[in-house]
Formats: sequence, structure tokens, C-alpha cells
Amino acid sequence: MRYFFAALLMLLVTPLKAAEMPIFDAHIHYSHDAVEFLPPEQIAGILKKAGVKKALVSSSDDRGTQLLLKHAPNIVVPALRPYRKRGETGSWMHDPTIIDYVEGLLKKHKYHAIGEFHAFDTDIETPVLQKIIALAKKHDLLLHAHSDAEAVERIFKANPDARVLWAHSGFARPERVREMLRKHKNLWADLAFRSDQASGGKVIPQWREAFEEFPDRFMLGTDTFAPERWHYVEDHAASSRTWLSDLPKDLAEKIGFRNAEAMLRLSPTE
Amino acid sequence: MRTACLVLLIGVLAWAAQAQADQDALTQEQINKLLQHGPWPLRVEADPSNRVSGNPGAIELGRTLFFDPKLSGSGNMACSTCHHPGRGWTDKLPRAFGIKRLDRNTQSLFNVRFNRWFGWDGQNDNLWAQSIRPIINPDEMHATPKHVVQVLGKDQNISGQYQDVFGAAPGEGTPEQTLANVGKALAAFQETIVTARTPFDAFRDGLANNDRKAIAAYPASARRGAALFFGRGNCTFCHTGPLFTNGEFQDAGVPYFIEPGRVDKGRFAGIAKLKSSAFTLAGKHTDDPAKTGAWKVRGVKPLHRNFGEFRVPSLRNLTKTAPYMHDGSLATLEDVVRHYSQIDVERLHADGTRILAPLHLNKNETQDLVNFLESLSTE
Repeated sequence: MRYFFAALLMLLVTPLKAAEMPIFDAHIHYSHDAVEFLPPEQIAGILKKAGVKKALVSSSDDRGTQLLLKHAPNIVVPALRPYRKRGETGSWMHDPTIIDYVEGLLKKHKYHAIGEFHAFDTDIETPVLQKIIALAKKHDLLLHAHSDAEAVERIFKANPDARVLWAHSGFARPERVREMLRKHKNLWADLAFRSDQASGGKVIPQWREAFEEFPDRFMLGTDTFAPERWHYVEDHAASSRTWLSDLPKDLAEKIGFRNAEAMLRLSPTE
Repeated sequence: MRTACLVLLIGVLAWAAQAQADQDALTQEQINKLLQHGPWPLRVEADPSNRVSGNPGAIELGRTLFFDPKLSGSGNMACSTCHHPGRGWTDKLPRAFGIKRLDRNTQSLFNVRFNRWFGWDGQNDNLWAQSIRPIINPDEMHATPKHVVQVLGKDQNISGQYQDVFGAAPGEGTPEQTLANVGKALAAFQETIVTARTPFDAFRDGLANNDRKAIAAYPASARRGAALFFGRGNCTFCHTGPLFTNGEFQDAGVPYFIEPGRVDKGRFAGIAKLKSSAFTLAGKHTDDPAKTGAWKVRGVKPLHRNFGEFRVPSLRNLTKTAPYMHDGSLATLEDVVRHYSQIDVERLHADGTRILAPLHLNKNETQDLVNFLESLSTE
């Protein structure tokens, strides 16, 4: 009898689990220190357990992305981060050797994006950034920019046809994000490391308006900026599903995974 | 002779210049910030959520219970096993040891009554709930509410004390009520653990009252350290006010893997525990009909940043509470200063203005800052 109830419980639970909304994590890193602490098999296991079907992975250095790609080729969408180690976030734009690093890897591997990189306002005018924008154009790659609105404007000034994923939605207010999305049709926005779009599982009105005005432009991201944060991927996916469930199903699925797929021109998830 | 005089003159001038530099070590802006870190001691008020807060009988009962191992499931572990008065109300271990090695450093009880949140992760919003936590934790004292009722009832002395304080015998009402009362007696005792005035307090009051003698008595090195603390180091951003803490949570760049494959989620997990606790200021066990302070538990929401954040500790009496940080990974104050001086900002998220940045302190500056920190302890 006990086994009957256990089997019944399994039957009830399994479809619920199977029905869990897939997640496209559009902002995730597997950098050198994470590689040191967490083997790629474990990372692949974390992503699968969290229901992350696809992940735009960028790492400092690129070895982490390539390692993970080998272990989870169906999940990893590789992006090329222009850092050899994480310590270069504030200095890379003044380091011309970065271009050699990026060009070398572009010859060696296939990528869908360059980034996530950090560049603010006039950083974009440096020769290194201008070259990165040119390389993205040449290779038809998305730019994943951790930038302020001024820097995003400068990217589009350098290449009006650029495709840009605005990391963290620039930590800008929703009204400002909407202004930027209105102005630039090739701009998308990830919601990584921001908690202001929802409170207690409910989407706040300003963000709801933004999602409704631009249902095709927002996406999720965990941002594993320190190795320990890989253990947050599952919590993050769960909390994302909670607040997404406060939106209409179609809109929730778009933010949850479809927008990232479309942005990266990938086959839609069934 | 002329050469000797010249050397002497240069020496005197150098000494005078150094003395002047020491005098001017603090800018007016730094002094203004420094003054906000006192006066000490703070005025104390009874905890409205604890009807026996300040009650002498409850303090004595709490003292008895604090040092008595009866409360533990095994009967051989007391609160004082980890919070030893002779060891700064902590255990001097990097990570505590209960029934097994625990995940965090034991926090001192100095000035614990002034906390806004309790524990490294703030899983409690009041001192009596925090006092219950280790009693029923299976990895620490491993008792149950029923066990607590039984052992109190069996001990005539304690049972009598309990009855005098709470007007009822242990076990009257639910076991959880008795447990809450035990927590309240323990809290009443811990409220008495308030640190005395320190050399810093004398200096601070000297500056406030323009008392030149008090100002002059404060060592020059500590004064230069204060200039770093309130100036370039911006340590006061988090370690602020008379307690030298903002009472909130921060990622201090300390790794939070407990062991391979397991992390300490810090405040993120603390909020989840707080929300599920029956012993909060919003719950039925508070004695405050107005539920003062309940807004904290009602309003707090987990944020992405909370993952791996830990409570900013008070710096008062910190020379007596080594080792440091949530996992006790830094053995000395020198190690702590070096950690912040060389902090790996890449471990921290890059949003907004960075609170923490490497200070690149030289050897003398490191010593000055350590000397300042030491002046926050009683002699």
C-alpha cells in the first residue's frame, strides 16, 4: 500500500517537473576560478537540474567556455569574453593585446557573441572597443555589453546595425530601458543580478509595462561572477519561474527562453 | 661640530614635521564622521518583545541556563561551550564545533542586545529567538522543546527560578512557549554583556569637547589609522555608528565555499529561515502587542545580491574575538587589514559604485590601521 502511494506521488510529481518552464540563461560565466573549483561535469549537472536548456556562456579566460561546450554542447551557446582573466574588466579597453587574443580565438572557435564586456560612456571610443565592434560586425556577432546608456548609444553610433544585449538592462530604471528599446530595434536587455522587477513573486507595474511594450526584448541571466554563484543557478531559475508565472504564459515563455533564442537565431525549443 | 649641529637640526625638524603630520592626520570631514561613532555606552532600553528583559530574576535564570549543559540533548553542551566568557564570549575557533564541525565562526556576544539582525545570516530578528536557535539545532545542542520542558521540570532550583520569573511552571502552555521563555531568560542575561569604554571613546569625546589632554593621549599611530578608517579606506561605510556596524549584510570578498560542492548561502538562506520562523517579532511568541519591529521580517525580501552576503560585525572589543570573518578564515587583525588592502574586487559584482576597492596599504599604514582597530577594544 505504501508503495502504491509512493508510485502515485511520483506520477503526480513527474508531470509537474516535466512541465517546468525551460530557462535560457543569457548571462553566465565559467571563469578560471570556477573551473578550478567546479569541474565541467558538475556545471553541466547544475544547469540540467535547474532546467536551463540553453545558456549564453562567456568566461575569463575562454577555456571555461570551451570546456563546458564539450561537456554540454546542447546547452552552451558560446560567447567570447575579451578577458584573459577577470581582473581585466576595468583595464581591457586600454590594452591593444586584447585584440590579438580575440582575433586568435575567433579564428579557432565558433561564437555567437562577443561579451559580456564592461565599457562605459567614452570607453567605446577607444581603439580597442572600436575594433571589437568592427570584429562583431565582420563575424556577425552579438555584443553583450555591461554598459551605461551612453556607451550603448556610442556602440550604435559606431555600427548602426550592431546587435546588442544590454547586460543587467544597464541597471537603469524601467522607464529608461524602455526609452532605449524604443530607440534601438536591435537592442535586447537581460535582467541578470537585478531584483527590482518583482517583489514577493509579483511583477511590479513599471516593469510589467516594459515587458508588455517590448515582449520580445527581455531575457533572464544568473551572472555567475564568482565560483560560488554556480550554486545559485537553481535558486535563480526557481525564483525566476515564480515571478514569470505572474505574467501571461506567452510573455513568460518569451522572457524565460524564446527571446534569447530569437536574438541568437537558434532553433526554437519545443 | 657644525656637522653634528646640522644633523641634530635635521632630526629635530623631521620630528617636528612628523608631530605636526600626526596632529593633522584627521581632516575635519574625517573628524565629523568619527564623532558619529559615539558616545559610548549607548542608552539601553528593555526589549518590548521580551517581557522579562531587564528583570533581575530573569537575568539570573538566564545566567544559570547559559552555563548549564542540561538544555542540550546530550546533556554535555551549554551555550557557554561555544560562547565562553573567558574567550571573548566566543570559542577562538575558526569554525564552531557542536556535535560536528559547523560551517561558521562563532560570533561573540559583546553588545549583542543592540543587533538589528542576529547570526551571520540574520536568520532571527530578535535575541530570544536567536538564543533558541542553537538549542534545537540538530548539529549544535540538539534538543527538542519537550526535552527542555523535561529538564527544567526535573531541576527544582531552575524550575523555581522559572516559576518566579514567568509566573508559571515549565511546561505550562505548549513546549514551544516554554522554549520561547527559555530564550527570553537567556536573552535577558545576554543583554548584560555590554562592553566598557575604550581608548577610542576617550579620543572621540575629547574631539567632541575639545579636550586637548584626551586628544593628546590617543596614540599618533592610531590617529593615522583613524584617518585611513574614516578617510581613504571608507571602512565607515559599513562599520558605522557607535557599534561600528550598519547592522546589515555585505559581500566582503571572502570565499564562501564550505567544502567542495557546498556553499554557505549566507543572507539568502537566512531570509528563508527568518520567513519560516515561528519566533519572530511578527509571530505569536512576541510579548509586544504593538509588534514593534515586525516590519523587518514582513518587509525583507531575498535579493540576488544576498547570496553569499554575511552580517557586518561590530568592531567593538574585536581584539578579544579572533579569528575573523564568517568562516574564521582570517586569524589576526593584520590578516583582516591585509584582506581589505588587497581585496579581489573581481569576486564582487560590478554594479554601481564599488564599496570595496584595494587600499594597497604599505607596512606602516597597515600597522596604523591595526592600532586604530585595537583602540576599539577595552584595555
